[in-house]
Amino acid sequence: MEIDSATNGNSDAVMTESVATITPSPVVPSSRSNQFTESLKLEHQLLRVPFEHYKKTIRTNHRSFEKEVSTVVNGVGELADSDWSKDATVSRLTSLVTRLQGLKRKLEEGSNVENLQAQRCRARIDHLDSVDVENITEWNNTKLKRILVDYMLRMSYFETATKLSENSNILDLVDIDIFREAKKVIDALKNKEVASALAWCADNKTRLKKSKSKFEFQLRLQEFIELVRVDTADSYQKAIQYARKHLASWGATHMNELQHVLATLAFKSTTECLKYKVLFEPQQWDVLVDQFKQEFCKLYGMTMEPLLNIYLQAGLSALKTPYGFEEGCTKEDPLSQENFRKLALPLPFSKQHHSKLVCYISKELMDTENPPQVLPNGYVYSTKALKEMAEKNGGIITCPRTGLVCNYTELVKAYIS
Amino acid sequence: MELKSIKDAFDRVATKQKLSYSKTNEIVQLLSQEIDKALSILQKTPSSDTLLVDHRSILADVKKVFMEIAPITQLEAAEKELHAALTKYPKVLEKQLNPDISKAYRNNVEFDTHIVNQIIANFFYRQGMFDIGDCFVTESGESECSTRQSFVEMYRILEAMKRRDLEPALNWAVLNSDKLKQARSDLEMKLHSLHFLEIAQGKNSKEAINYARKHIATFADSCLPEIQKLMCSLLWNRKLDRSPYSEFLSPALWNNAVKELTRQYCNLLGESSESPLSITVTAGTQALPVLLKYMNVMANKKLDWQTMEQLPVDAQLSEEFQFHSVFVCPVSKEQSSDDNPPMMMSCGHVLCKQTINKMSKNGSKSSFKCPYCPTDVDISRCRQLHF
Repeated sequence: MEIDSATNGNSDAVMTESVATITPSPVVPSSRSNQFTESLKLEHQLLRVPFEHYKKTIRTNHRSFEKEVSTVVNGVGELADSDWSKDATVSRLTSLVTRLQGLKRKLEEGSNVENLQAQRCRARIDHLDSVDVENITEWNNTKLKRILVDYMLRMSYFETATKLSENSNILDLVDIDIFREAKKVIDALKNKEVASALAWCADNKTRLKKSKSKFEFQLRLQEFIELVRVDTADSYQKAIQYARKHLASWGATHMNELQHVLATLAFKSTTECLKYKVLFEPQQWDVLVDQFKQEFCKLYGMTMEPLLNIYLQAGLSALKTPYGFEEGCTKEDPLSQENFRKLALPLPFSKQHHSKLVCYISKELMDTENPPQVLPNGYVYSTKALKEMAEKNGGIITCPRTGLVCNYTELVKAYIS
Repeated sequence: MELKSIKDAFDRVATKQKLSYSKTNEIVQLLSQEIDKALSILQKTPSSDTLLVDHRSILADVKKVFMEIAPITQLEAAEKELHAALTKYPKVLEKQLNPDISKAYRNNVEFDTHIVNQIIANFFYRQGMFDIGDCFVTESGESECSTRQSFVEMYRILEAMKRRDLEPALNWAVLNSDKLKQARSDLEMKLHSLHFLEIAQGKNSKEAINYARKHIATFADSCLPEIQKLMCSLLWNRKLDRSPYSEFLSPALWNNAVKELTRQYCNLLGESSESPLSITVTAGTQALPVLLKYMNVMANKKLDWQTMEQLPVDAQLSEEFQFHSVFVCPVSKEQSSDDNPPMMMSCGHVLCKQTINKMSKNGSKSSFKCPYCPTDVDISRCRQLHF
């Protein structure tokens, strides 16, 4: 080895050398671009949720416009068939004109809202379109923030969710307003009120019916239970009336549950009969909240679980190796962190089909470009790192793990297939 | 995946929505016009009972015109077209994208919210987003994050470096000099060099030399060539940009120092230099498509997805996620372990111990042929490797 080069002020020295090692080379293997496409496919929720919102707005608006128009048309028809005085006719017509003017205004407003929502849908498609090799790090950063906002919204941490979205300029990429709608219902249910949940059901009647949801039925059952709980002669009467009005229609499809709940009439809320006792328990309301969350996610095409949990599970499994749980594990491995270890504990280990060797010294991958070399004691390091060491130390290699000293010429190449 | 077909499908929705809107607008316009017309005729004609028949005939006319316009039918037709586009779009999404990424999710594993929240809070702090971190901690009701203060300190140092003020960084590096040496980091030398160059740039060679004597000379053991370059650069003091040492002016030096400081600071805290949360989620982004594909292919087979101890497929993470050497025996396809370590044969090819035992019939044969080359392998010359 030429030790002389080290004394020459122009040799590869510490500072320039580390420039090369710290900034990873920007070369991206071709399989990476395929990886982009594959990872974009994970973004169904991102595009679906705002669209469902948009669709709902369009439908609601359309229905109300149609209703108004037909009211006016019918109004004229009735007017023509009746024998009102002329003055009365004029005033009737004038009111119809006012109505149409109101409709025009509503149309304008409705269209503005729709356009905003369409814009949001489009912003998300554009966001997916914007990813490329150059900005992938930044894009992944944004993605992480989106995932965190999704988590916070599902946990009802609205303040932080809003702050983070504003701060990172991703308001168009997250669904704060949609979750606010859900929060109203959840809060009401937590207060043991079903009204807003029922209103929500009415609002989404066709969709819920299509998916054969029985959420409304469950809400009605709970209301029935609450009437039974009051435990006065009058309340039983009310409960029965309520059941006739709201529960009977579900009998055709959910007879067993209906019978089960109606039998509470024979028990008091203080009953010790386990099967019925459970129906009176306050936890039933938590069940309703969970039920609502599920229906809500389904309706908007969201995953039931927070995105964060899904990504963490997959990531932890893919990173989980027995080495990560060892004492001297490199701090760069997330699994060296106590919290990550705890989360990963019940998850499967990763699997690798091919050897991948990381140089202990340089932390670089050892491959055909930078093949592994074996010291006489069986310890393996990358050619690059060993060469550098030899150049600095006049051809002498010191094993960083065992302290063994040997000559560069004593090394042998290992072939890993 | 075709992003274009998604775009096209959405454009169709947006066009139909506009069309439906203008149709409705047009109809409302038409209806108002007709009523206005009737009203103006009615109001012009003087009020008199004999004209009773007249105003009724006007109304009948309006009614007739309305019937001809058939507004409801027109609205319904417009809606029908819109409806078709609205139904199609989600189908396109489902076809082009993965409609349910939770298929590869283990439902029987529930994360402790408390731990997840701590991880998130720590993420915000290490990214320097202290406001948001604080807000999160308050809102989620978690206890104060223990690492917050350390990261505040780190960002104070980094902010100062951005202003080209090296003092806080140097103070920290000197204070942790021993630990940095242990980690084989040249951060301290790097910072001193930067400081030296700053002084030299200030046209004060003498002061720079004094600084080098005091602070840089001690690194002679490890950084001699570097010191030589630094000192030589003094010769070109005024025109460093046209000298062989122009690299000393590069902002990359500062960026590298910032990166190295972040790395070392985090490491001394027992943290990784990249945020572990962001590493894990990015790894998840790479692994999920592979796992989902596997689930799809195996959809009909009975799978113990919820209980298996090792993933059934290679998640194919990219290099930066390879934190450990993993040796997979090319013959048995098993990962090496303490009980089954990798062994190198005399020809340099590597197999794991169990495979070698098998090939030598448990040592009953003293030699066997390497499966990868024509060498006859002597068992006594196989030796264990440590990666």
